[in-house]
Amino acid sequence: MTTTTATTPDRPVAPAAQPGLLRRHRSTVLIGLALVAAVAVAIVLGTGTQTSTPMDPDNPGPAGTRALARVLGDEGVDVQVVRDADALADAGVDAATSVVVVLPEYLGTSTIERLRDDTAGAHTVVVVGAGPGVADALGAPGGGASIQLGDGRAARCDDPRFDDLSLEVDWTLTYPDGECYGGKGGAVVDQQDDGLLLFGADQALTNEQVLRADNAAVALRLLGQDERLVWYVPSLDDLTGDDGVSLQSLLPRWVRPGLALLAVVMVTVILWRGRRLGALATEPLPVVVRAVETTRSLGRLYRRSGDREHAAEALRRAARARLAERLRLGSTTPPDVLAREVARRSGRTEADVVAVLGPAGVVPSSDRDLITLARELAELDREVRRA
Amino acid sequence: MVITGRVPLLLLLGLLPVVLRPEASTVRLWLLVVAVLVAADLLLAPTVRSLAVQRRPIGAVRMGYDTESVLVLENAGRRHLRGVVRDAWQPTAGATGNRHRVSLSPGDRVLLRTPLRPRRRGDLRAVGVTARLRGPLGLCARQKTLDVAGTVRSLPPFESRKHLPSRLARLRELDGRAAVRVRGQGTEFDSLREYVRGDDVRSIDWRASARNRNVVVRTWQPERDRRVVLVLDTSRTSAGRVEDVPRLDSAMDAALLLAALAARAGDRIDFVAGDRRVRARLRSRGARDVAASLQDTMADLEPVIAEADWSALAGAVTQFGRQRALVVLLTPLEPSAVEEGLLPVLPSLTRHHRVVLASVRDPELERLAATRGTIDEVYDAAAAEQAMVRRRRTAELLRAVGLDVVDADAERLPPALADHYLTLKANGLL
Repeated sequence: MTTTTATTPDRPVAPAAQPGLLRRHRSTVLIGLALVAAVAVAIVLGTGTQTSTPMDPDNPGPAGTRALARVLGDEGVDVQVVRDADALADAGVDAATSVVVVLPEYLGTSTIERLRDDTAGAHTVVVVGAGPGVADALGAPGGGASIQLGDGRAARCDDPRFDDLSLEVDWTLTYPDGECYGGKGGAVVDQQDDGLLLFGADQALTNEQVLRADNAAVALRLLGQDERLVWYVPSLDDLTGDDGVSLQSLLPRWVRPGLALLAVVMVTVILWRGRRLGALATEPLPVVVRAVETTRSLGRLYRRSGDREHAAEALRRAARARLAERLRLGSTTPPDVLAREVARRSGRTEADVVAVLGPAGVVPSSDRDLITLARELAELDREVRRA
Repeated sequence: MVITGRVPLLLLLGLLPVVLRPEASTVRLWLLVVAVLVAADLLLAPTVRSLAVQRRPIGAVRMGYDTESVLVLENAGRRHLRGVVRDAWQPTAGATGNRHRVSLSPGDRVLLRTPLRPRRRGDLRAVGVTARLRGPLGLCARQKTLDVAGTVRSLPPFESRKHLPSRLARLRELDGRAAVRVRGQGTEFDSLREYVRGDDVRSIDWRASARNRNVVVRTWQPERDRRVVLVLDTSRTSAGRVEDVPRLDSAMDAALLLAALAARAGDRIDFVAGDRRVRARLRSRGARDVAASLQDTMADLEPVIAEADWSALAGAVTQFGRQRALVVLLTPLEPSAVEEGLLPVLPSLTRHHRVVLASVRDPELERLAATRGTIDEVYDAAAAEQAMVRRRRTAELLRAVGLDVVDADAERLPPALADHYLTLKANGLL
């Protein structure tokens, strides 16, 4: 009995605390869980179907190409998006397949080679927006210059795909050897012999500009030639260490040795300008001592020790000597005689003069009092001089 | 060895072959070509030893005035010399335009003139002559610094000579040449002449007048052939600067004016300068250009961080002779230095001579005492008042011993001292 009576009062206490804690924080926990779920959904959705990579068929933004990809899909073209070189190799490109390559600036020497190998059997390979360097590597030497095409341009060639269609984009790349859409600065389209086609107006495919002029028609005819379209978005991860279309290959070959030569020139310039014509001329320096230096250091000494008594006495004694001289009383005049004479001349009371002039004056108790005393002494001197 | 600006230019020219044949080997080849050319030029460059350099003596010039240093260059070698020669001086000698282009055929000589304007008193030295001689291609040069000794003596500027004419006029008034004459205790008999109205009747010589048809007066002239001894203190207290000019320089100015004046008055001037020991000594034999020789003697005196040994200086004064003299002590009225060093030896001087102490006063002290704005300034003012009281007390002490004290600002000390001398002379107190 005693044990049960001892334990029973304890029992309700402990279990009551746990549900209370959960109940009290239920809303917080729920909100937290909802947030986590929302973020997870957002991540899954975001990564699953959307991207912000330009020219990507899953990018709905102004620089993306989702509109074109969707339209192609609706028209019965089987659009397959591959995002690295391995996926491209696995895509099984055959004669009934077109390949479109966007972002060719991500291609390097090795990935271009793999691209050529993997797409050797394709019906058409369209490389969109191949800039300088990449154009060279793809067989269009000197291509990739950028021009404005805001006024539009007609095809002006006998390729049936571009029959009477005009292009209009803000900027386009041009290739000197191309035929279609030729004009000032070169042609926009460069059809190579082996089914490779360089298309400079990459902006014509974007969501933003696909509806300008006949851009949409050009894009659909170009990419919708076959039942199947492999959309290749190259990845930088596929590049091997030593290849790539580096800056170096874009520069003239003499730049590197030229820079080496310039470095040597700089060294010689330093040697030439850095050599002095004889040693520096030195001066045996004179001793520079200001005559008031000792007086100033005495002042500093007073200040550091806060010796107001001595400072006040020095000021008063000097003032007494000066006044005695001014009143022609002689240096041995007793202070009370001097005070009487000064009071007579300045119009102050004698007690007032003694308080300022001393020697029985009050010792200033603060820095402020000392300043006041110093000024009063100067004022007294002025008054006597004026009288 | 020194390379010239042509080397980088030549290297830069190498960009042309590099553009035509963009290989690393082109660069290496070009560097090699340039290196070979530079080495060949260096081998063909004449040595600096083939240059014989002499410097002509410059002498003395007053501080702040222009002079020039002349170098005589001779090509003693067998090759043509072309290059640059720098005549380096210490900065205060004020050597401007000291780089000279030279082109000398074998056996040729050329004079290189470097203008100098000393900005500091004393002996200013040349640092060295650096020659840089180019090779025939002008790509590189041999350079060497030759030690060619040279000094220019920069004399004290004697700014106070502007006061000399007015003081000489006053001296002539004392002299028999002027109509106004003062008959004093220390005057000497000069001559007899006819009485004219205005003459002091007390100076009529009755005995001479009796022998003559007219009234005759005696004329008098100030004493001549007195001795003036200038004692210049070069100890630590003279190093102190007043308005950024050392007290020593101001004291020299005062000494020069007094010497010039006393020499015209027919007195003999002796000069001694020293601190712990005697640094300079000059005995003049009544020469009229005593100021010039005094300037020369003073030129290389510098303040020494040491206490003055006044007994040694007083001994130097006595060595000049036991004849009564006017001894002028040019030393700052620095209470502690004066009371400990000078005061004990004064009796030995005042016993035989008339002693004057000329001191440069620092106006900064009065400014310091008058500024009382902040607490720092008040403490400084208290210290300045203290210093001035002590100065005044020391001056009184010296006057009590029988010294005359002339205490004036740097600018006003030379005329004040000259006036004091004239007063003494007029009263025959020398």
